[in-house]
Amino acid sequence: MNKPDLSIPTRQSVKGLALIFIISIRQAIKMFWPLILILVIQNDIFKDRLVVVISILTALILLVVHTILYYLNFYFFVANGEFVLKKGYLRKKVLSIPLDRIQSVNTKQNLIQQLLNVVSLEIDTAGTIGMELKIHALENSFSTELQTLLRSAKKEKLDWATDELQEKTEAEEKLILKLSTSDLLKIGISQNHLRAGLIIIAFGFQIFQQIEDLFQEKAEEYSNELIGFMSNSSWALIAFLLVFFLLVSIIFSLFRTLLKYFDFKLLKKEDTYRVESGLINKRNVIIPHNKLQELNWETGPIKQIFGIYNLVFKQAVSGQNRRQQVVDAPGCLSRHLELLKTDLFGDEQLSLNPKIYSDSYYFRRLWILFGWLPVIIATPFLFSEWRFWGGVVFWLSLSAGYSFLILKKRYFRINNDQIRVSKGAISHKWEQMKLFKIQSVEFRQTIFQKRRSLASLHLTNASGTITIPYIGEMMAKQIYNYLLYHTEISEERWM
Amino acid sequence: MENFTNSILLPENLPEIESNTFNLLDKKYLRILLLQNLILYLLLSGALVIFLLLTEQKPPIFITLSVSLIIVLAVGLSLAITVLGFPKKGYLVREKDVSFQKGLITYKLTTVPFNRIQHVEVNQGILAKMYGLSSVKIYTAGGTSSDLVIPGLPVDDAQKLKAFLSEKISEHE
Repeated sequence: MNKPDLSIPTRQSVKGLALIFIISIRQAIKMFWPLILILVIQNDIFKDRLVVVISILTALILLVVHTILYYLNFYFFVANGEFVLKKGYLRKKVLSIPLDRIQSVNTKQNLIQQLLNVVSLEIDTAGTIGMELKIHALENSFSTELQTLLRSAKKEKLDWATDELQEKTEAEEKLILKLSTSDLLKIGISQNHLRAGLIIIAFGFQIFQQIEDLFQEKAEEYSNELIGFMSNSSWALIAFLLVFFLLVSIIFSLFRTLLKYFDFKLLKKEDTYRVESGLINKRNVIIPHNKLQELNWETGPIKQIFGIYNLVFKQAVSGQNRRQQVVDAPGCLSRHLELLKTDLFGDEQLSLNPKIYSDSYYFRRLWILFGWLPVIIATPFLFSEWRFWGGVVFWLSLSAGYSFLILKKRYFRINNDQIRVSKGAISHKWEQMKLFKIQSVEFRQTIFQKRRSLASLHLTNASGTITIPYIGEMMAKQIYNYLLYHTEISEERWM
Repeated sequence: MENFTNSILLPENLPEIESNTFNLLDKKYLRILLLQNLILYLLLSGALVIFLLLTEQKPPIFITLSVSLIIVLAVGLSLAITVLGFPKKGYLVREKDVSFQKGLITYKLTTVPFNRIQHVEVNQGILAKMYGLSSVKIYTAGGTSSDLVIPGLPVDDAQKLKAFLSEKISEHE
């Protein structure tokens, strides 16, 4: 395919017809399923074969007509520095977005699209129309051209003053991180199995109930036997369940990780990252440096053994598609992490500044919340049996340990243009951002904090909030004033 | 701007926000807040009355009394907090940012720099309309967590504030 000329209105790929057809069938079924259900249940209508055939044929013909009309009336082009998308035949719709407002241009490929060798292209804006700027079927070569064109058009507008960047536009794409299948296996094993386990339990419980409904009598028979066996050996039951639960959870995690992050690649070209991954649903996400708000990374006890960190790039969110805007690398090694950090935040300077911990009063609040509050609520039950008091002691010490872990990991380092916050309980998480990305600052102080001259800070950027709980009131105020000053004099683009 | 190194160790040079310089909200806004409390109280007690009228098995008088007591106490507490907390609410517009503070038990002070505001809106609810008040909503990019609302402004003031902020935003574009 030739280089696309974006100034003339262009339609989607012809292969898109098939895709639009499938999508409209899905939409039609979604819309009319109650009607279809009624027709199926009152099956006396179906006695006449001819009626059935004719109605299905009419529906199909209508859908085909819809598909063709939709296809013919779907155009996109660039005019006057705006990306314009026209669609609809009954109700015409024109969506336009200035090129410099485009946050990122992403492509995705599901199974059908892979077979047809087309991709769907999504244009993210910080506004709310982002969801509608979606082109379902683009020729693969066409989409890369469009992607680069949109990007370079945007770049020209942004960097019209600097000529150096123009020369670099043809720079090679550099591979930063690639995950092989064996890496993915490690990552799958080091996932949070508790969470995966809970999903399985919820899911399994549903299936179990359905099975029970189906084979009620037989199931009862079997389960009675099973219960009889298990109640004779309750420890065996617990051990069996634990092993089973762990195994299923690991397999589930492995499967999910492989599916989502198969052939994961993180590439870099000039000031833009590109992420490619997926086995069945392929995704291709572009993250320009200046759109990135925050870099988060996390490691847990098992991940630490393998030296794996979980990376999350946080971009500006537009409310509706909050989840799509978070791009994560499931695993990377510390050298990858260091490379990315240097790339995004410059040479490491923060570690020269001291760790500032949250006040130990934070521990007390956490302990009250996790430990004492549940105990107080449970007080009425405590008098029924003395054994519960043992449980209370156990619970209080457990929650104290947990709160202590949280306190020990709650610290931050700040210098005059960056902040890094550390948090976590069992796993350890870091959030780092450039200070000028801040768009609002909040100072919070409860009356209990005031008595001890403590306060909390909430720093919000376009992708979320970073919290610094329970630090000295004076320090909180100084940081507050500094952050505002720093942001107000900043002239860098923050998103 | 890159080489700017004003260390945080010398904070006394930075402009501070003094909480006593804030503009208070219109007195009529307190009436709206109290009315809202009253409506909530009426709804709660109405629900209790309807439940008692409709239910077949009347609950023991002890439970009915304690539930009503809890409702009365909760409403009393919320009224007290509303009245006492009202003078804490206020807004402040400085050269380069806009702030809002509130909170009797948990004090909250939020500031949004002008160069981070996306757009500004003036809203008016039904109660506010009766008293000739409006609220100004300041939107930032991304989620809703960093949006700032200044309620209880006389309609004219709200429009003026909006015009002022809109002008400030256009300066930064």
